[in-house]
Amino acid sequence: MSDDLRDRIRAFVLTQTPGSVVDDDDDLFASGLVNSLFAVQLVLWLEQTFGLRVESQELVLTTFATIDSIGDFVAGKQAGAAVPDGS
Amino acid sequence: MTRIAPTRIALATPVPEDLAEEVAKRVYFVSDVITGFSLVHSQGHITAVDVTTSTAADPGHTAELTRKLNQVIATDVAGQRHLPPRVIWRNDGSGTVRDVFDDLVARGVAFETGEGQIAVGEPFLSLMDVLDARLLALVKEQFTAQDVRYPTLIGSDVLRRTGYLGSFPQLVMFVSRLHDDTDAYTGFLDAIGTDGSLSQAWRTHGGDIDYCLPPTMCFHTYQQFTERQLPSPSTTVTARGKSFRFESRYRRSLERLWDFTIREVVFLGSRDFVLDARTRLMDSTYTLLDSLGLGGRCEVANDPFFLAGADSTWSQRLLEAKYELRLPLDDSRDVAVGSFNFHDQHFASAFGIRCAADEPAFTSCAGFGLERLTYAFLCRHGVEPAGWPAALRAEVRT
Repeated sequence: MSDDLRDRIRAFVLTQTPGSVVDDDDDLFASGLVNSLFAVQLVLWLEQTFGLRVESQELVLTTFATIDSIGDFVAGKQAGAAVPDGS
Repeated sequence: MTRIAPTRIALATPVPEDLAEEVAKRVYFVSDVITGFSLVHSQGHITAVDVTTSTAADPGHTAELTRKLNQVIATDVAGQRHLPPRVIWRNDGSGTVRDVFDDLVARGVAFETGEGQIAVGEPFLSLMDVLDARLLALVKEQFTAQDVRYPTLIGSDVLRRTGYLGSFPQLVMFVSRLHDDTDAYTGFLDAIGTDGSLSQAWRTHGGDIDYCLPPTMCFHTYQQFTERQLPSPSTTVTARGKSFRFESRYRRSLERLWDFTIREVVFLGSRDFVLDARTRLMDSTYTLLDSLGLGGRCEVANDPFFLAGADSTWSQRLLEAKYELRLPLDDSRDVAVGSFNFHDQHFASAFGIRCAADEPAFTSCAGFGLERLTYAFLCRHGVEPAGWPAALRAEVRT
């Protein structure tokens, strides 16, 4: 995962967790850092920002639990290049 | 009698077939003139809904239904993501399962008193009490639970505060009365005469809607702790009471009632406590079902949000905020007899319930539909007590 990708994801997460200190491996959901609609907002943001499609079978909470896991997911999708970026 | 041909309502945007159930569970709520429907499938999508109506179709009527149905689909279904089913517990149970509702009616054990309202007698009644007692014992063994009996009515302001009106307006059942004024009483009596319309007269002379019938028990619990700090960071409350949901034409036998009984268990406190308590109660419930020879499954589920947007629905599934315990009624049908829900800080924030200092508490709850549980038990073991597990049969007064 590139630093740029990590920074963009971290910046989005921090907009949803104002005033919190979030490490890249913190579980956003288990720690209660984010509200219940965050997961949906995150998926929609990832699709829009990175021009990818999160498939039904990929909608697993652990994938979106940490900044690291989100970044790995996006990097994997980009490497696979299976989905047009829509831009 | 003239049979009215179905009217085809085209969907502006076809809905993927894996969201068919999300469409089906909303159609009757689109309009009360819809008396029957079937989904039209084409190339992996739902492309239209064929509806029968209580009034003859005309172009204006069809256009209105088309507008309403598409509004509901656009608001509640189109934006949903289908998540693969996730079953977290499954048990085959013993023997076969057969729907016994007709048997119960034939024996006079169950009889319909109104739409979505079924009266039950013995041995159903005692069996339901024994099953509830087993659930209560299971709760008390594991938690220091406060046992409460709430009044039937719940304040409309309380229901509004929960957010229920905005999420499930289709299910709300209000309680009303005449305006408390002599002229209203006399005007009402004059209006109804000997056979005048009660509804029409009430619309003219009715009072405020200060109270509702509760759709679930846990809302009473949040009211109980309004603007208070919890007595303990691991507070448990349990209550049994009647709950009411307007299920329209989705009503069916003892499977889907407008008026039913819930055993509710509410956990309030720290996040770790309410999540751990939910898991422990689920595990012990599986053990109880196993001891009763009841097979079934527990799976991730979502609530029937209506005109509330699609995000809440698939967020609930993605976060596994709701699990439903489903038991079979025959070879092809099952029914949710219980649910286990995590609400995060939603209700505690809405009611100012604090865990400590100024921090809102977290809540979770479990609700068991006692009529459904009893009915599923009878579908598994039969209506004759001789076929029931011996230990339980001894407890039931027959």
